[in-house]
Amino acid sequence: MRAGLGAAAGELGAGMSSVPGLQADCEELLGAFQEADTVRFERFAELWRERRFHTIFYGRIRALERNKLTKKTLELAQQYFLPPYAFQIRVGALYLLYGLYSTQLCQPKQKIRIALKDWPEIQRFQQDLIDSQHYDAAYIFRTLRLARAFHFTAMPKLLNYRTKKKIQENEFKEEFKDPSNRVNSLITNDVLEELMNIHDHYQKMKCVISADKSQPDKALSLIKDEFVVNLKDLTLEHQEWQQNRMKLFLNAKETDEMSNKKEEGTLLESEGSERANALARIKYRSYSAVVEASKSRRHRQVKLESSESGSNYGKSPNRNKKTSRRPQPARRRDSLEIKGISPLHS
Amino acid sequence: MAAVEAAGTAPDYEAAELYTRAFRLGALGRCWRQQLGPPDLSLAAEAAAETDAAVAAELGCAAETAAELRAVCRWPRGRRRARGGGGPRSPAESRGSCRGSCRACAAVCGPGPAGACPPGAAQPEEGLKPPAFSRRGVAAPVLAGGCRPRPPLVQGRPPRAGGSSIDMLMSSDKEKDPDVIPEDSSLLTLRIRKKALERREETIIVDRACRQETLAYEMESHAIGKRPDNPTDLVEEGELLLTLNIFYPVIFQKHKDHKPYQTVLVLGSQKLTELRDSISCVSDFQIGGEFSSQPDQAPEHISKDLYKSAFFYFEGIFYNDKRYPECRDLSRTIIEWSESHDRGYGNLQSVKMEDYTFNDLSLKIGFPYLFCHQGDCEHIVIITDIRLIHHDDCLDRNLYPLLIKKHWLCTRKCFVCKMYTARWVTNKDSLAPEDPCFFCDVCFRMLHYDVEGNKLGEFLAYPYVDPGIFN
Repeated sequence: MRAGLGAAAGELGAGMSSVPGLQADCEELLGAFQEADTVRFERFAELWRERRFHTIFYGRIRALERNKLTKKTLELAQQYFLPPYAFQIRVGALYLLYGLYSTQLCQPKQKIRIALKDWPEIQRFQQDLIDSQHYDAAYIFRTLRLARAFHFTAMPKLLNYRTKKKIQENEFKEEFKDPSNRVNSLITNDVLEELMNIHDHYQKMKCVISADKSQPDKALSLIKDEFVVNLKDLTLEHQEWQQNRMKLFLNAKETDEMSNKKEEGTLLESEGSERANALARIKYRSYSAVVEASKSRRHRQVKLESSESGSNYGKSPNRNKKTSRRPQPARRRDSLEIKGISPLHS
Repeated sequence: MAAVEAAGTAPDYEAAELYTRAFRLGALGRCWRQQLGPPDLSLAAEAAAETDAAVAAELGCAAETAAELRAVCRWPRGRRRARGGGGPRSPAESRGSCRGSCRACAAVCGPGPAGACPPGAAQPEEGLKPPAFSRRGVAAPVLAGGCRPRPPLVQGRPPRAGGSSIDMLMSSDKEKDPDVIPEDSSLLTLRIRKKALERREETIIVDRACRQETLAYEMESHAIGKRPDNPTDLVEEGELLLTLNIFYPVIFQKHKDHKPYQTVLVLGSQKLTELRDSISCVSDFQIGGEFSSQPDQAPEHISKDLYKSAFFYFEGIFYNDKRYPECRDLSRTIIEWSESHDRGYGNLQSVKMEDYTFNDLSLKIGFPYLFCHQGDCEHIVIITDIRLIHHDDCLDRNLYPLLIKKHWLCTRKCFVCKMYTARWVTNKDSLAPEDPCFFCDVCFRMLHYDVEGNKLGEFLAYPYVDPGIFN
């Protein structure tokens, strides 16, 4: 009997390092929130309700085990609240923590652990929220603090000096990460501002030592005047490109997942019928075109087709699919060609 | 500035996920207290009442917005409650609270160069819309401050708030019972748990918490939320709370992978001697000597009273118990041994245990240290956690050091009654079938002595102290 109990307890996750399935559920919720492209609490609450996420604590579990499960649940959700996750995910994690903390069934409630080394980052986050007027998120955080939902700790986890147990590497979900990179970390706001100041200063100095005090000598013109502005534009473009890429990446991932699931059949079907429709249209159009302009030349016909069809008939489904399948190279080439900011991408 | 300081003094890993660098405990407490405000540290039973004005002041928004936030963001309770006659606001009015779309957007994109807002992603926000109040019946009672008094602690199902304050988040009526996992849940966690619970139901014979589980739960929670009768015994705000695992000095084969230990909570301001006095170990209760002729005198020879020396070892320093004149410096031999051949243990120091509180110490979380008493009874001590005291913790200073977990050890039973824990062990016993043979006090005396207390037969009797006496 005891063996059976032990095994069951293990399955429930009390004996293990995490609650099985929970990570998937949290990431699904946060993913949906990310997709909603908002940081509004209301939207989050909607997503939460759709999933009836408060039932996550349900089941016939005794108090001791429930405490453990709840602790682990909060611990898991807390990870997403800290870097390297992107701002939006962190806001989502804040709401998630709020929801989990409020709906937990423990009495008294289990607390959310915050380590001292993470605190400055959390305060910066809170300041960010206020500065950017995301008052709902700031309010939620304030509410949690007032409800004294936190344990202010020295370290994020309890440390047991367990050498034998394998330490699980935290696998961060790539899509949730802040799209930070070398470019962003190198060229920050401060750096740009500083550059701007230096540039101004430099120009003034040149003016001072020039014959004509209002304008620097031509002999002194050793750098491009537009340098700072150009740099700023390039950085912006790069950031934009990266965001687009991320979105495509997300879409691609989604379609992958979709096709992995059982909906594959229906998806294929609808895709097939779509294609059939498109083909039919093309056929129809080409026939009608032939009827209408039988004497016209080929290029005329082509023009007719494109002008009439717009973009959403024949070609676009196919093209969309292609880009979404391998978004990265396509996207990269695009931006390289169009924007010509290749030096920054390497 | 304070934030920078926090980052500087915050303990960090020396070995990832295993243990930290050594740091001064008092500094950690100070640093947290600097970082936090009175509401965070407060140990008052009720949470501070919050007003819209306070919210507005802290977030730097209009009082109007604050009131609205209260309505929008309140979900576990009272989301449905109406605010003093104020109906839903118009979207236009409420959107005012989230103007400055570009700044907001910049924040969504994360910190970047000024004006990093991509033109395409201009305004994904819907603004702060008022909640759709479903005004069924009368509004739920407004709970000032949002903290309802804590119901008594009960094992088993936790008390639930009444249906009225459970809001739309926990809405659908079919999910009222938290014991029942809804059939059609889309949550993977629940599907897995359901399966596990069903399997448990099939294999289980007796459906109740076993004694160990009950004990563990009671140990863990018996002092939670306790407050002292005398207010002077109240733990101070911002006090540090340490969690220590104290291991038993047993090296049985069956404990090869999992050493038994007890878990104790200690306050940062407590002296090391307070912890030392609270550690219960059988070796303190051993009684030396043969007592077959005068069994009543045995209790006078408990080793705890005879050998009072002990030390803790933290970070190169021996903290010796020197409270009593008969205490010896147990660490001396070790220090001499270390120094005699320059064995590379550095400069070991020895100080008095009674002069130090935990706040004075500098140590590593997660690192194994030592407690030694009775000359050679050695307990590994690991500080697994340090945090600020919380108002849900036990707040009666007198109850600390607080034992919250202990190992359940097997006890040796009396050979005669097979019921009570053995108190005596005999050798060369003409009346016993075994050598050695164990007896409880009653059976031992009944068998070995006549009514006047005269010894019967030949035997050597030693008091026996079972490791399980602390169960």
